[in-house]
Amino acid sequence: MPRILTVDDSRSIRMIVSKALGELGFEMGEADDGNAGLKKLQEGSYDLVVLDVTMPNLDGPGMLAKMRESGDKTPVVMLTSESKTSIIAALMKLGIQDYVLKPFKGDELKIKVLKALKLPADYASAGRAAPASAADACPSLPAATPSASRILVIDDMENVHKKVRSLVPAELMVDASLNASDGMGLCRANKYGLILVDGELPDSNLPSLTKQLRLLQPKAVLVALTLRSANNIAVEMHAQGFDDVLFKPFANEAVAALLGRCFVENQQLVSIQENLVQLAGFHGRDDKLEHYFVELAAKMKEVLTKLAEACFDSAVLDASFLPLSQPLRAGQFVAEVCKTFAETGVVLRLVGSSELATLVGRFEEAKGVRLFHSLEEARAAA
Amino acid sequence: MKFAEQLEQIVKARIESDSLTLPALPAVAFKAIELTRAPDINLQDVVALIEKDPILAAQILRLCNSVAMTTREPCSSISQAVTRLGTKNLRTTLVEISARRIFESRDVKIAAAVKALWEHSRAVAQLAQRVAVVAGAADPDTAYLAGLLHDVGKPVVATILLEAESQILQRNARLWIDFSTWMDVVQRCHRPIGLSLAQKWQLSDEIQHAIQECADYDPGNRLSTGNAVRFANAVAKQLGIYAGAVNAEENDALVMVGRSLLGIDDETLTRLSKDLKEKSRDTA
Repeated sequence: MPRILTVDDSRSIRMIVSKALGELGFEMGEADDGNAGLKKLQEGSYDLVVLDVTMPNLDGPGMLAKMRESGDKTPVVMLTSESKTSIIAALMKLGIQDYVLKPFKGDELKIKVLKALKLPADYASAGRAAPASAADACPSLPAATPSASRILVIDDMENVHKKVRSLVPAELMVDASLNASDGMGLCRANKYGLILVDGELPDSNLPSLTKQLRLLQPKAVLVALTLRSANNIAVEMHAQGFDDVLFKPFANEAVAALLGRCFVENQQLVSIQENLVQLAGFHGRDDKLEHYFVELAAKMKEVLTKLAEACFDSAVLDASFLPLSQPLRAGQFVAEVCKTFAETGVVLRLVGSSELATLVGRFEEAKGVRLFHSLEEARAAA
Repeated sequence: MKFAEQLEQIVKARIESDSLTLPALPAVAFKAIELTRAPDINLQDVVALIEKDPILAAQILRLCNSVAMTTREPCSSISQAVTRLGTKNLRTTLVEISARRIFESRDVKIAAAVKALWEHSRAVAQLAQRVAVVAGAADPDTAYLAGLLHDVGKPVVATILLEAESQILQRNARLWIDFSTWMDVVQRCHRPIGLSLAQKWQLSDEIQHAIQECADYDPGNRLSTGNAVRFANAVAKQLGIYAGAVNAEENDALVMVGRSLLGIDDETLTRLSKDLKEKSRDTA
C-alpha cells in the first residue's frame, strides 16, 4: 500500500488531504513544517510527498531542496496557494511531479497523486487488488461510461422536459435546464450521450451554443427540438451545428428511433467497472435489434480482452436490461458470451431475470454459469 | 550606450511623453461598432455602412465563412453575415479585422515576425475562448478578443522601432541591431502601448487587464478573462506557435499553474489545443 506524507502548517488542510487520499487506500503520514517533514522521511520511506510552499521554520522549497540535495527522489506534488510563476518554476527545477492550487477539490488532488504514482485512474475501485509497485501495476480498465445512459434537455418549456422523461426508458437518466447557461453548467459537471436543445431557445445564438456544447461534450449527439415550421428546417438546424432534429410534438416512434440511433449506433452498449460488466438496454425499433446484438457481441470481445489484461479471473455480467423480445436471440447471445469467457478462463457470474435464466438454461454453452437476480447477490457470491 | 538600449529609451520616452501616434480604429469599423451599441439598433443601417467599405465588407464575409465558423452554409451578402453573426460577434469581427491590419508590414525585416505574432494571437484567442467555455468563465467571446489583442502593442512597437532605427542609422551607419535583440526590445516595451491602443479603441476593462499583465495569474479571480488568456498564451508558446524567445521554465510553470487554477485536466487540454496550429494558420 503506497505511503504518502502530507506536509502543511495547516492542521485542517492535513486532515482534508489525509481523508481524501486515505479514501484511495493510501497510508498517510503528516508533518507541520519542512523540518518535521524531513524527519518523517528519515524515519520511514514514503512513496510521495504532498507539500505546501509557505510554512514556518522550513518552508516547502527549502524542504524540497534538502530532499534533492540528499539524493531523495521521492515524487512531490505541491499543494499551495502560491501561484507566482517564478516560484513554481524554481520548484519545477528541483523536480516536482505536479501542482494543485488551493482552494482545491479532492478529486483533482486524487487524480494528480495517482498520476504521480503512475497508478491507474480507477485505483480506488480496481487498484486495491493491484500490486503497490507502480511498475507491477496491471493495465487500467476504462472507467464506467455514464454518458451511455444520460440525456440533457435544454428547453425553456418545462413541459418539454416532462414529455421527454415520459418517452424515455427508465434506465436512461434525463437532466433538464430551462436556459443555455444552466445547460452549460450541467455539461461541465456530467457526461451526456444525447443533448436535446430547443431550436428556438430564447436569448441564445444557436451556432455559438452548439459549438460550445461540442467543446464540453465531444461525444454527445446534439439534436434540435423544433416545430415543422418550414420545409428546410432540418437543413437549417444542421447548418446551426446539430446532428439531428426531433420535431415537436414528439411522436413515440420518432423518440425511439432517435434513441436507437444515439445509443445503439454510437456503440455505447457496454460499461465496465472493475470486473463488473453492464449491458445497456435496447431503445430502438425492432428492426434494429439484430444490429444491437451484433454490436454487443463485438464489444464483449474487447471487454473480455481488457478483463484478462487486468488480471481478473472472474467477472459479473449484468444483463438485467438485455432485451428479451426475441428470446432465442437473447439466449444465443448470452450463451456465446458464456462460452468465450469459459475459453479465456474468466469465471462468469450472470445477473438477470428468471426469464433470462430459463432461456440461458437451454444452451449447452451456458451450463455451469451461475445466475443471480441482483448485483448484490452476485458480488456476495465471489 | 548600446544601440538596443538607445532604441528602447526612444520608445519609452515616446510612451512617457504620450507622443505616440497609435493606429486608430478604421472609421467605418468605429462607426459600425457605435451603431451596434445603440439601444435602438437598426441592423440595416449597420449593413449599409459596412457595404460602403468594400474591403471591410469582403473581410467580414471571409471571416464569417472561415474555417473557424464551421457548420454553416456560406454567407453571400453582408446582410446575411450581419444577421448571422449577431451584434456581439459583429463587434468582435470588426475589431479583429482592424487588429489584423496592425499586424501587417511592408518592411521585409518585420513582415514575417508580425505575421507569426498574428498567428500566435489567433491561436491564443481561440484557445482562450475554448478554455473559457470549458472552465465556465463569464464570457468566452471576450476571452477570444482579449487573446487576439494581448500582443497588439508588439507590431506597433516594431513600427516605432523601425522609425527610430532609421533615425539613428542616419547618424551612425555602423550600428545595427540583430533580430533577437530587436524582438527583445519589442517584448520589453509593448504592454503600455497595447494598453493605450485598447483604451483608444474603447475596449472593455477585462480586455485591457488581459493586455496589461501576462506574467502571473490572478488567483483571487480564477475564472477571469485575463487568466484564460495567460494560460492560452503559455500553451501556445509551449506548442511553438510564437515568434520570439521563450523562457521555457517559466512558461512550463505557467501551464502547470494554469491547469490547476482553471481546472483543465491533461485530456481536456490535449483536446482543446490539438488543432490550434492549423486553425491559427487557416484563419490568419
